[in-house]
Amino acid sequence: MTSSSATSRKALSKIASNRLQKELVEWQVNPPVGFKHKVTDNLQRWVIEVNGAPGTLYANETYQLQVDFPEHYPMEAPQVIFLPPAPLHPHIYSNGHICLDILYDSWSPAMTVSSVCISILSMLSSSTVKQRPEDNDRYVKNCRNGRSPKETRWWFHDDKV
Amino acid sequence: MMAKRGLLRAGIATECAGQIRCRELANSSSFCRKLYSEIEEVGWEHLVRLDDNLTFLSFRVLDASGRVHVMEVQVDKTYPQCPPSISGDVPYIPKIEWSATSRLKDAVIQFKKHVDTLEDFWSTLDDIDNSLWVVNPNFPCRAMCHRLVNIGNDCIVLFSINARSPKTVPECRFMGPDSSISPLRKAWSRNCKKWMQEKSFRDNLVCVFGFELPKSPDTEKDEQQLECGICYAQHLPIEDELGTKSGCPTDYQCDNANCRRAFHGLCLMDWLRSITTTRQSFDVLFGSCPYCSEPVAVKITNTRS
Repeated sequence: MTSSSATSRKALSKIASNRLQKELVEWQVNPPVGFKHKVTDNLQRWVIEVNGAPGTLYANETYQLQVDFPEHYPMEAPQVIFLPPAPLHPHIYSNGHICLDILYDSWSPAMTVSSVCISILSMLSSSTVKQRPEDNDRYVKNCRNGRSPKETRWWFHDDKV
Repeated sequence: MMAKRGLLRAGIATECAGQIRCRELANSSSFCRKLYSEIEEVGWEHLVRLDDNLTFLSFRVLDASGRVHVMEVQVDKTYPQCPPSISGDVPYIPKIEWSATSRLKDAVIQFKKHVDTLEDFWSTLDDIDNSLWVVNPNFPCRAMCHRLVNIGNDCIVLFSINARSPKTVPECRFMGPDSSISPLRKAWSRNCKKWMQEKSFRDNLVCVFGFELPKSPDTEKDEQQLECGICYAQHLPIEDELGTKSGCPTDYQCDNANCRRAFHGLCLMDWLRSITTTRQSFDVLFGSCPYCSEPVAVKITNTRS
């Protein structure tokens, strides 16, 4: 159940692909701790392995993030979702969508794939319960047509986790 | 009975205090309303700071070349009978013409005119800051007329630029070992009449002293930082779609001295246009630096010629 966005994906612009190539080189030289980029020849879709941080609820668990870049990256945020099975977390829906402001309204071109990954890991690490968001079933039902999380109007209500 | 009367009196007293308080509030709220409507006239997008009791505010003023200047305004409760007091990052403050019917907008317009008349002064300072090894001030400061420049050979020269005629020969003081300074002094008194207004500051100095001057050791570091903080490239790609901007190097730098991130004006413009918090006034976009969140302002450029 990979969320193939309803909007057809356009190839990366020249600016976007230049920037991503530099991010990838930087990632290879200096990868964020706990993450592994799965090598493919597709610059527009990265699959990244996440290891839960030791001493947290997700220690010794491994998940996969799928990062899709829009044509005009970094003017627009990348689409980041967990591939199934998504970790049990109050801000992560069972279809892999993540409720995290920097992926939507608070995105800025000063951020990178690497900094986004670190934010997601910190979100996982600060969780105190393993559970789905309260509105999980309703939300996931609404997304059945393969809607991208970037089309959701998110409410960022909780800044503790 | 006595106790009751006492209570009554206290009640009246609080009522009086309440009336006074109301009157004060009414007065201050008319002051607030007036000030708000005057800020509105200038444009909220130009406002940088406004303190809680509305007596101190600052505006961002762009000069003809797109440099950002900050104008600070202090008003008191007697405003607008008494003119606001103005300060800013300028070498001298203009005299603000003020009458009882004047508004904040009039002060801003006069300040902008003042900043524009100083164009030669700004460009001379930019020229010095960009082409010479400036030791002090540490970061380019617009209000200061002096620059301490390392010209090599253990010699430092203090240049004072006349803000009213910045292109003429600057005043200078030499500092360093006597043996190196005396030939410099001689060269200066012999050649300073060769100073030409249309030449750059550096070229004039080279002509007067007769030797090449060192560049700031930071220049190399700066060149690495000339990568655009948005597209990560030094030069825009060469594409017809980018018109005159095709292949262009970074041409914008964040004004915040602690940030100084470089950008392509075009990338910054594209970013500001893609978010809803950006404000536009004529052909200038106002938003914040993606790195430090300090205010930035970019002129809209049309790539499609």
